Amino acid sequence: MGLEKLLQREAVTTRLDAAIGWARKYSLFQYPFATACCSMEYMSVACSHYDIDRFGAGLPRWSPRQADLLMVVGTISHKLAPILRQVYDQMCEPKWVLSFGVCATSGGFYDNYATVQGIDTIIPVDIYVAGCPPRPEAVLDGLIKLQEKIQKQKQVY
Amino acid sequence: MALLEDISERYKEKVLETHSLLGDDTVVISREILPDLVRFLKEARGFNFLMDLSAVDRMGKDPRFEVVYHLYALESRARLRIKVPVAENDALVPTLTGEYRSANWLEREAWDMFGITFDGHPDLRRILMYEGFEGHPLRKDYPKERRQPRVGPGSRPETAFERGPSIEERIAVALKMSGVSVRGENGIRNEIMYLNMGPSHPTMHGVVRVMLALRGETILASDVEIGYMHRCFEKEAETHTYTGVIPYTDRLNYVSPLINNVGYAMAVEKLFGAGTTERCGYVRVIMSEISRVIDHLTCIGAFAMELGAFTVFLYMMKAREYLYELVEDVTGARITTSYTRIGGLKGDLTQDFAGKCRAAFIGVRDVLQECDRLLTRNRIFYDRTRDVGVISREDAVSCGFTGPCLRATGIPYDVRKAAPYLVYDRMDFEIPVGDHGDTYDRYRVRMAEMEQSMRIVEQALRDLPDGPVCLNDKRMTLPPKEQVYTTIEGLMNHFKLIMDGHGIRPPAGEAYFPVEGGNGELGFYVVSDGTGIPARVRVRAPCFHLVAALSHLIQGEMVADVTPIFGSINMIAGELDR
Amino acid sequence: MSVTYLPILLLFLITGAMAGGILYLAGVIGPRNMTPAKAMPFESGIPNISPHDRPVPVRFYIIAMVFIIFDIEVVFLYPWAILFRKLGLFGFMEMTVFLAILALGLAYAWKKGALEWD
Repeated sequence: MGLEKLLQREAVTTRLDAAIGWARKYSLFQYPFATACCSMEYMSVACSHYDIDRFGAGLPRWSPRQADLLMVVGTISHKLAPILRQVYDQMCEPKWVLSFGVCATSGGFYDNYATVQGIDTIIPVDIYVAGCPPRPEAVLDGLIKLQEKIQKQKQVY
Repeated sequence: MALLEDISERYKEKVLETHSLLGDDTVVISREILPDLVRFLKEARGFNFLMDLSAVDRMGKDPRFEVVYHLYALESRARLRIKVPVAENDALVPTLTGEYRSANWLEREAWDMFGITFDGHPDLRRILMYEGFEGHPLRKDYPKERRQPRVGPGSRPETAFERGPSIEERIAVALKMSGVSVRGENGIRNEIMYLNMGPSHPTMHGVVRVMLALRGETILASDVEIGYMHRCFEKEAETHTYTGVIPYTDRLNYVSPLINNVGYAMAVEKLFGAGTTERCGYVRVIMSEISRVIDHLTCIGAFAMELGAFTVFLYMMKAREYLYELVEDVTGARITTSYTRIGGLKGDLTQDFAGKCRAAFIGVRDVLQECDRLLTRNRIFYDRTRDVGVISREDAVSCGFTGPCLRATGIPYDVRKAAPYLVYDRMDFEIPVGDHGDTYDRYRVRMAEMEQSMRIVEQALRDLPDGPVCLNDKRMTLPPKEQVYTTIEGLMNHFKLIMDGHGIRPPAGEAYFPVEGGNGELGFYVVSDGTGIPARVRVRAPCFHLVAALSHLIQGEMVADVTPIFGSINMIAGELDR
Repeated sequence: MSVTYLPILLLFLITGAMAGGILYLAGVIGPRNMTPAKAMPFESGIPNISPHDRPVPVRFYIIAMVFIIFDIEVVFLYPWAILFRKLGLFGFMEMTVFLAILALGLAYAWKKGALEWD
């Protein structure tokens, strides 16, 4: 029973979109799919010094049922790719993906037989945070951009 | 060397060659005498550690492969390298799983990467690559970029997940090896429940899959699957220059990257037969020990968090930030430092390093004291970690344990004392040792080691001499810019070190250099063929052996004990899967 | 006496309304897209896991039973704790009898090994 069906597309829902976007962007529940060195920087971002919690995204949930932001932290190898795909598929809409680090973005400097050259070959990505590993400030910058994107996008009901 | 003469005399014509080049005793034998030789060495000469087992692909030479074993004797501190040449069409070597437990996973890796079969191995299957992968990637004729994706564009159905063996099939082997029958004693079927602690799980250690066969909450047997973070360090090393490999070494044990940098640089410097300057020795020791403190802070913080002590994690991350700022001042990066160069360092310490270091250590010591009060005599923490994951000394040695996990069982083996490198022989520090070999002791050993590391840094800062940090050697070190721009010799030297096809070229040979990593003996085995690209770089990863013994450690424990045991091992996926 | 408890009733009503309201709103606003992957249980990303229809060991049942019994006992102790002075000696003797019966049960369970895992 989505709201649009309820309104039978008779009302234009821009203010509602903005309100829902506001609510969604400040209450992101992350799924840190942590693999490699970037997980050290993820730990730094999540902890007291750089504190991702002040942006509302501070609760990591390791379950796709409870998370809406999939942060792919670190290198994804071909052995791990089906698992990433399955985890993404099991998340409920609305969901966003943040690609943390160059290994997740494009394979990094690992151009070899075992590394996926960018997770966007497997799952759709919303924000790419580059760096090897990205500084915590860069991650927070990426998160803020994601929040702007969520605010402005057409929400799914 | 007396040992090499003994071996030659005992096995006569089966010993093809012996030498002690660069100080490493090496014996090349034919494969028939391998089990006998290893038994002789283990029982009569005390070589109780199988440190490393790997292979080298000498494409173009005959026989093509060479299986290389590194053995270590604990009491006499002797090292020996055994090489067994095998031809391509007859790549069969007798197994050593009967002698050393660590041989199990090492041989599986050699099979996976090179295709060398080990005769008599109980469970020879792929470990780092996945089922359905065709080929053996570390062979020289396997192109580095040939991908075999499992999902997405270009994927083949043979590699898809559903084709692999099911969880029951995997555990059946583990159950058989640990002697548990699916049918109970009185014929009643044992209700075995299978639990999968999958690769993406809440413990922030990376990606390892543990499959458990449970009866109720007790673990009957388990199978550990690794390889989810295999990033082909060894293959990448075969396509980059010696200096170009250094960023890849950062990402091995990424919580203590400076130790990896130092280990690799020293292995290559050993090939040259050169050392470094004295100041460089002190600076490398300082940075290594700071890196070690960071490693232990991360390990204990994450491990305590998984047991519920989230506060300890936050405090230790705060302490880690003080040290990251220090490291960033000197090297330019917090984690992936790439600080050492062959023959020296990227740059010297900053002017105010000593003051900042002292201030940072005050903060770290505060945090350590606080966390000690929170954890060490905490009833809940003690009950959850005392007598959990116990390993005996003999088992630990046979499994190839080194580092804090071995010292927790009572064996005081530390590479910094047993085979001192750089300036460790001038430092005054202790080796903390435990006695039970359980999780609580591993925690205590790591906490004590952090204090010792800070002691070493303070001594090194006090005795730090002046001078250059890079060795004044044309073969390795870039000349100063004034000489490059004003003299022709400087220009030529710079050209020869930088341009493609030239570069740093150690003389042909091989060298194994062990350093004390955060998890134990981190060894780099570098084989050079005289060109600017290494022929083989092999990493003896300490936590590979620790995770190989995980099945043994968790057997008989309950499901809830897997978390502290796994946390105390400090598995770092970058080092485990390389 | 009922007036002193009116704020608690109000608290329950408001909390219930807020929680219910948020859940309703989430149900209205949230999209509904069921896919086969979402219907599967989450096994850390592994798609094919052995079916979980094996019999569960009876040990779990025993632990649950023991827990329920002693938990209900504790729940019965709460009203006594509030009315302790009012019930006086009579109440104390009654509760002692009650606790003694349950302590006997605890001793039996302990002796029989119901509190051990293995």
